[in-house]
Order: sequence, then C-alpha cells, then structure tokens
Amino acid sequence: MANIVSLQKVTKNYGQGDALTQALRGVNLIVEAGEFTAMAGPSGSGKSTLLNIIGGLDRPTSGRVEVDGREINAMSNTELGLLRRERIGFIFQSYNLIPVLTALENAEYVLMLQGIPTAERRKRVREVLKEVGLEGLENRYPRQLSGGQQQRVAIARAIVSEPALVLADEPTANVDSETGKALLDLMRNLNEEKGVTFFFSTHEEAVMKRARRLLQLRDGVIFNDEAH
Amino acid sequence: MIARLAWRSIWRNRRRTLITIISIGFGLACTIFFIAIGEGVYAQLIDQVVRMQAGHITMENPSYRDGPAVDLWLKAPESLRSQIERLPQVERTKQIIIGQGIARSGSGDVSATLMGIEPSVELDTSPLVRHIVAGRYLDDDDGPWVVIGSELAKRLKLGVGKKMVITTNDAAGNLVDVLCRVRGIFETGSVEIDRYFIQAPIDFARRLFGLPEEGATQLGVVLRIPQAQESVLQETRLMVAEQDIAVLPWQEVIPEIASYIKLDKGSNLIFQAILIFLILFTIFNTILMSVLERQREFAVLLALGTKPLLLRLQILMESVYLGLIGCALGLLVGGLAAWAVQVWGIDLRSLLKEGFTISGFAVSTKMHARVTIGLLLGTAGLVFGATLILSLIPMHRATRLSIVDQLR
Repeated sequence: MANIVSLQKVTKNYGQGDALTQALRGVNLIVEAGEFTAMAGPSGSGKSTLLNIIGGLDRPTSGRVEVDGREINAMSNTELGLLRRERIGFIFQSYNLIPVLTALENAEYVLMLQGIPTAERRKRVREVLKEVGLEGLENRYPRQLSGGQQQRVAIARAIVSEPALVLADEPTANVDSETGKALLDLMRNLNEEKGVTFFFSTHEEAVMKRARRLLQLRDGVIFNDEAH
Repeated sequence: MIARLAWRSIWRNRRRTLITIISIGFGLACTIFFIAIGEGVYAQLIDQVVRMQAGHITMENPSYRDGPAVDLWLKAPESLRSQIERLPQVERTKQIIIGQGIARSGSGDVSATLMGIEPSVELDTSPLVRHIVAGRYLDDDDGPWVVIGSELAKRLKLGVGKKMVITTNDAAGNLVDVLCRVRGIFETGSVEIDRYFIQAPIDFARRLFGLPEEGATQLGVVLRIPQAQESVLQETRLMVAEQDIAVLPWQEVIPEIASYIKLDKGSNLIFQAILIFLILFTIFNTILMSVLERQREFAVLLALGTKPLLLRLQILMESVYLGLIGCALGLLVGGLAAWAVQVWGIDLRSLLKEGFTISGFAVSTKMHARVTIGLLLGTAGLVFGATLILSLIPMHRATRLSIVDQLR
C-alpha cells in the first residue's frame, strides 16, 4: 500500500521563551492508503495539532511532512489550499456546515471548487447523500437537520470528491452514543467498501475499539501504535 | 453557487440587511432630492434673473464692464438679431438700454436704474410682467410711460397715471430731464428691484439718452435650452468676430449670482458629503460586522480549499447586492420625490410670507426641482462605488484570518 501520510521528526511549538509550549515533539508516522486510524489522547496531547499539520492548515516548527506523496513543508498557502481541495476531506467536531446552503449544496461545494460541471456534481452528491442515509433530505438546511444528520452531511462533503485522505476531528463528540455508533459504522463501511482512508481523533473508548489502528498520544509524543 | 451563497448570506440577518438597504436608499434619496431641489432653485434663479436682465448671453461694448455708461452703446441691427434667432437653441434676442438717473415727484427724489426695453419682447420673456400689481405692463406703442417698483411708488407717492420726472445724463454727457407717467407698478419681492428699478419703452429710452435707432447698451440672447449656452456663445462670437463687440455669458454679467451659486453648491456639497459619510460609515460597520461574525465559517471555506480570491468575490457580491438594492430603492424614492417636486413644485409662501431674494434678485417661493439622468446615475454610481470600496477592508480581513485559530 502507498503512503498517504508520512511524518518525520515533526515538532510544533507555540509561544517562546518561558511561554514556550511544545505541542508535538518529534512525531514519526506513516499512514497507508485504506487505513482506518484513530488517534487518542487527553486534551492538550497534540491530536488537533497533528491533524492540522497533516491537513495543511498549520505548519510544523520542524520535521518533514508528506501528504499523498508530496512534501508540504515548503508549499505556499495557495498550494496548500489546492492540496486540501483536491486530496483531503475534512470532518469537524461541530459539523461546520454552511448554514445558508442546503445539505445538497453543502456537499456540492467542494465539487464546485474543483470545477466539476453542475449536472455531474449534482448526480454525484445525490449518490453520496444516499450512501450516508440522507436520501430525501437533500434540500434541507442544516438547521432543519439533527446533529447526526448534519454530521452525515459533513461526511458526505468530505468524501464526495473522493479524496486520498479524510481527516476527522472527534467526529462523534457532539452526538449521542447511538448516533455516534451509526456514524462510525458509516465511516467504517466507506473505508471498507470504497477504500477511503480515514484518520481521526477521538477520546471515546467505543470509537477507539472500532478503529483498525489506534495511535495514542501524550504530551506531543505517540507512545503507543497498535493494530486491531 | 457563489452568487447564491452571497445572496442567502445577506439575508441570514434580515433586520441588519434591511437597515443597511434602507440606510443606502435613504442616503441616496436625500442626496438626489436635495441636489435636485438645489439645481431647480439655481435654474429658476438664473432663468428669472437673465430674463429680467440681459439674457443668458450678453453682447455689449467691450469697455462697458469697466465703467457701465450709456455712451458705451452698440448697434444691434435687425440682421444680426435674425441671424442669432435662427439658432435652434435661442428663444429670443432682446435689446436693452441701462442707465442711471434720479426719479422725482412732488414728494421727493430717488436715484434709480432706468432700463429701456422692448415691451413685446419682455412680454414673452421677462418674469417682471407677471409681477404687475397695479395698472398694466408697457406696450411697444407707449411713449413716455414707465413701470416702476412698488417701493419706489411708495417713496415718491406715485400711483398709476401719475407724473414723474427722470433726470439723467445722455450719451453726450448733457443733463436731461424728461417727464413721464406711470403705466404700472410691479412688486417682485426684491427690495432692491422694487425700490430702484424703472422700465420704459426702448424708443423712449433712446430719446432720453440720445442714442440712435437700433442703438442699445446691450443685446441679450435668451436661450430656449440653457445647457446650450457654451455652443451658442461660440457661434455668436463667430458672428460678430469682425466687430468690436464683447460676447459674455451671464456669469460674467451678473457675477454675484454666479458666485452665490458656486458658494451655495460648495456648502451643499459639504452637507451632502457629511450625510453620505455617515451613511457609508453605517454600511461599512454592517459589512465588517457581518464578516467578523462569520470568521469561523470563512475558516471552514478556506479549509475546504476555497481560494481567497473566491472568498473575496463572495463578500464583494454581498456588497454588490446590498448596494444594488439600496441604490434602486434610493433612486426610486429620491427620483420620484424629486420628479414630483419638479412637476408640481413646493409652494413655500406660507413659510416665506415676505418672499426671498438671492443677491437682490427675488426668487419664486414655489420651488421646482430639476432631475436629470446625469444626477440620478451620478449619485447612484457614487454611492454604489463607495459601497464596493468599503467592502475592501472586510474582504481583506476575511482572507487573512488564521484557519486554525478560528476552528479551535
């Protein structure tokens, strides 16, 4: 399997002098295509920082980061934006859907950025929304959907462009356990049936158990890396 | 989709958007209305003054402006007048003789300005004719008859048909006295005109001042289309190029009115600029607030790979929508209000019982606005352009945010 993510001695510091905080301390990591990897750890352990660096939303203080075979350290903001648009899908903890766009339009947005013609992108979005169990709810606005349904829209938005990697920051944190379980089933099915690579953070035991690979972070260091 | 996103975004806070649109509309409507009223009053003032005096364009002896006197006269032959009147923008030409003298009656004397006019021409062109309050206006056949202002009549205790004597110097410098009678009394509302102004038939004035036939101190050109002044001025100058005649625009003949208008426009401009500034400040605040409270949303869009340029375009489109709706509202309200005042006017007689004058010239208390396409499009374009410029700072801020900080 090809490497989707490769991190070598990645560090990330915030502040300086006495106020220096080391969020990541020399992280080494390889994520291969098709993985379903969870990253666990207490608050402040560096989970979000690691996700942000892999997603090109933040830059490391030192170390080498490769995503989809491309070194991103030296990329400009525009190049990083392009990489995110073409190769990475994001699922956020609090859904972060655009409130004035319908479920269909939210999922369609990334395809619009990619310049895919309207008819084709509508077709693809409807298929994906059906896959995530939102058939019939395409024209609802986020405020008309439950938390679980909104997160399904977010998942649809993340996978519709068939990215190389989907990064999810505690995707089940804001929903009840039943909905969380259903969301995780959905992500797992997408991983198994469509080969979508998922890399997500969590601090829930139930979610950790469903991951095929579990990384554990503490104080900016991966201290445990185990396959399930 | 960006257009749709921008359109829906402006309506997510309906009240704020409505306030912004109303602010733009109200500001534009006020600006259009007040400028139109101002332009209307200026046009009315100019029209009244030039028609009562020597027209939009005045031809006279080149030395007359330096020391106005009846000996600096010019000959205005019928052929020249016909040539000028053939220009489509010209309504009439008028000969006048202006001289100074003393008007006397048994009750006293008053220094006065005597204006020799062609009664039939004045009947068609001059607003003074409408201000006769006693007796009647002059006829071309009237001999030594005059119309005088109501204040002058009061001071000299004169009524219609009464005698008065005018003493003056003729063109040769001789002191002359002439007896005449009052045909009518006018009241313009301007103290200066009503107290010192006398009109007499031009033939009578010629005899009084010793000028030959077709001799006058001025040949005035009254325009049908005042906006054509510059072109008619050029053409008239060409017609008399071989002669020793100065051709002047009214601004040089009645500079006090031109200066007043310039000054008034300047002060109005300051008032309008303050009004527009306050409105633009409201708009700026609204756009900035709307951007600041959506920083997280913009961070999400950037995280998904939206180009900063596209995000700027979205914010610009929001401003375009606000500007277009606001300007449409302002054009509709301001344009209609100004148009109504242009057609029907506003009668301020109840507020201005004494009437009002500008630089000694009475202005009608019924104000009419003057709306032009240029005024509507110019002011709307200015407000719309300013709205777009104001969105530049919020646009810049939206794309300079830290995605990580906003998503934290």
